[in-house]
Amino acid sequence: MTAAPLALGKGPGTPGRVRRILTSSQGAQATAIVVFIGAWQLLTLVATRVPGPVEVTQFLYTEITGGSHGGIITGQFAEHFAVTLRHFSIGLFIGFTAGLLAGVLVGSFVIARALLNDTVLVLLAMPAFVWAFLTTMWFGIDWRAPVLTVAFTAFPFVAVNVAQGVRSITPELKNMSSAFGVSRWKQFKHLTVAAVTGYIFAGLRFAIIVGWNGILLSEWFSGQSGVGFRTRYWFDANRYRGFVGWVIVFIVFIVVLDRMILNRLQARAFRWRDPVEVKAELSNPDFDQVGA
Amino acid sequence: MARLDIQRLSKVFPPPQKGADPVTAIGEITLEVEGNVFVSIVGPSGCGKSTLLNILSGVETPTSGTVSVTEGGRPARLGYVFQDARLLPWRTVIDNMLYVRDDDGAPASDTASRYLEMVGLEHTHQMFPGQLSGGMQQRVGIARAFSVDPDLLLMDEPFSHLDAITARSLRDHLQQLWTATRKTVLFVTHDVVEAVQLSDRIIVLAPGGRIFDDIAIDLDHPRRSSDPKVATLQAEILGRFEEMYPSNVSGMTPGDVST
Repeated sequence: MTAAPLALGKGPGTPGRVRRILTSSQGAQATAIVVFIGAWQLLTLVATRVPGPVEVTQFLYTEITGGSHGGIITGQFAEHFAVTLRHFSIGLFIGFTAGLLAGVLVGSFVIARALLNDTVLVLLAMPAFVWAFLTTMWFGIDWRAPVLTVAFTAFPFVAVNVAQGVRSITPELKNMSSAFGVSRWKQFKHLTVAAVTGYIFAGLRFAIIVGWNGILLSEWFSGQSGVGFRTRYWFDANRYRGFVGWVIVFIVFIVVLDRMILNRLQARAFRWRDPVEVKAELSNPDFDQVGA
Repeated sequence: MARLDIQRLSKVFPPPQKGADPVTAIGEITLEVEGNVFVSIVGPSGCGKSTLLNILSGVETPTSGTVSVTEGGRPARLGYVFQDARLLPWRTVIDNMLYVRDDDGAPASDTASRYLEMVGLEHTHQMFPGQLSGGMQQRVGIARAFSVDPDLLLMDEPFSHLDAITARSLRDHLQQLWTATRKTVLFVTHDVVEAVQLSDRIIVLAPGGRIFDDIAIDLDHPRRSSDPKVATLQAEILGRFEEMYPSNVSGMTPGDVST
């Protein structure tokens, strides 16, 4: 009689499976989160003014459910978040539309490039907090300050990317289209729009990320409502669990938006650029291999 | 039956820089091509071969002279194969095939698929050009040009950017396609051996864009370069070039024409 060999690492729950999960990219991400929360909790042991994860979670629960923070102060998550989303959407629309137009002009016409290229680059280098200050100086405590801060910070990122997309349409492709007599509408649809779409998503993604930072600053300086305003409110009140809680909301929103939507949209729009090695078996293979 | 009629055609480009002379790409060329023939235009770099195709396809306008490409009295439909494949990188192979067609329904898709199959790329429909090698992209370019059912197919040194082995493979694909369809083809190349293997007629251009010679090749298609008859003819014509160029064409030597 012989003993059956042990199938270590084969069954569910065995060390091999655990190792595979831990060493996968999802496992690594989950590990990073756990390590971060653990380090945060440890930090609260030495820095007493730093609120711990449990405290912050309790605060966020109260803020989101509209419960009482003590006295007459109640949670106002939905109100402030809605205000910020409204400001952000309007500002992003303005910045995106202007960036799209400027990008098409800069990408298409030499004279427009000469006129606008440096301006766009200067705007690109301008930090968001400068726009937050400037718009507050121009408009005071007003809804226009956060809206225009988002518009100004988003604009150059869209313009630069769209211009790059327009320039990616080479004269050779235009000549090919003309030689085959492809209609102008078809050229617009399959050549111009299709070429620029990926770059629009890339520009939009950057615009959303920098615009989101801009609106926090602007509302912090000049808002009477919104995420930035509420974050400053808790900061001024020396309630750091509130401050940290809103900062986390701010970060989680943009990370989830980027990971779940923007990144996927951009990847889809640019999937033709992925250097994927396709394992297609050709019926007539010669020395002419895929990806060679 | 496609008919190409070129009368006293010339193309002069403006001086490339101040004080320089205008550049004559094509002198006065008169050329007639009729029927389902494969015609090669051979000549050294800068003799106006590509400019001639660009004028025929409407990308360039001539300085003087006339060009007409007709099929049964109506303007002929043109197909074009370029030096590089010129595929839209953001469109799949099948979408690139359909891009150049007037219709894009099921029949167009079937036609495109048939030509892809003829060049051995039936499994690449949903692939993007960036996922194909240069040779495969050029095969798509050839299939695309045939799929529009052109009356006249213009080919501008389509194998010049490829390595010798891939180019040989593509020449075989091209011969199969041409034998099956018998399109009128105007094929620009600087490779005399390639021209002899593929063509019914070779027109030799000299620098300055003048027609230097017009040679008929009377051999059956498809041809293999290893076929003794083809090899003999290639050697004979190469020999003619080597004898002719130094003595008859100013500034042109045998080395200007690739062998």
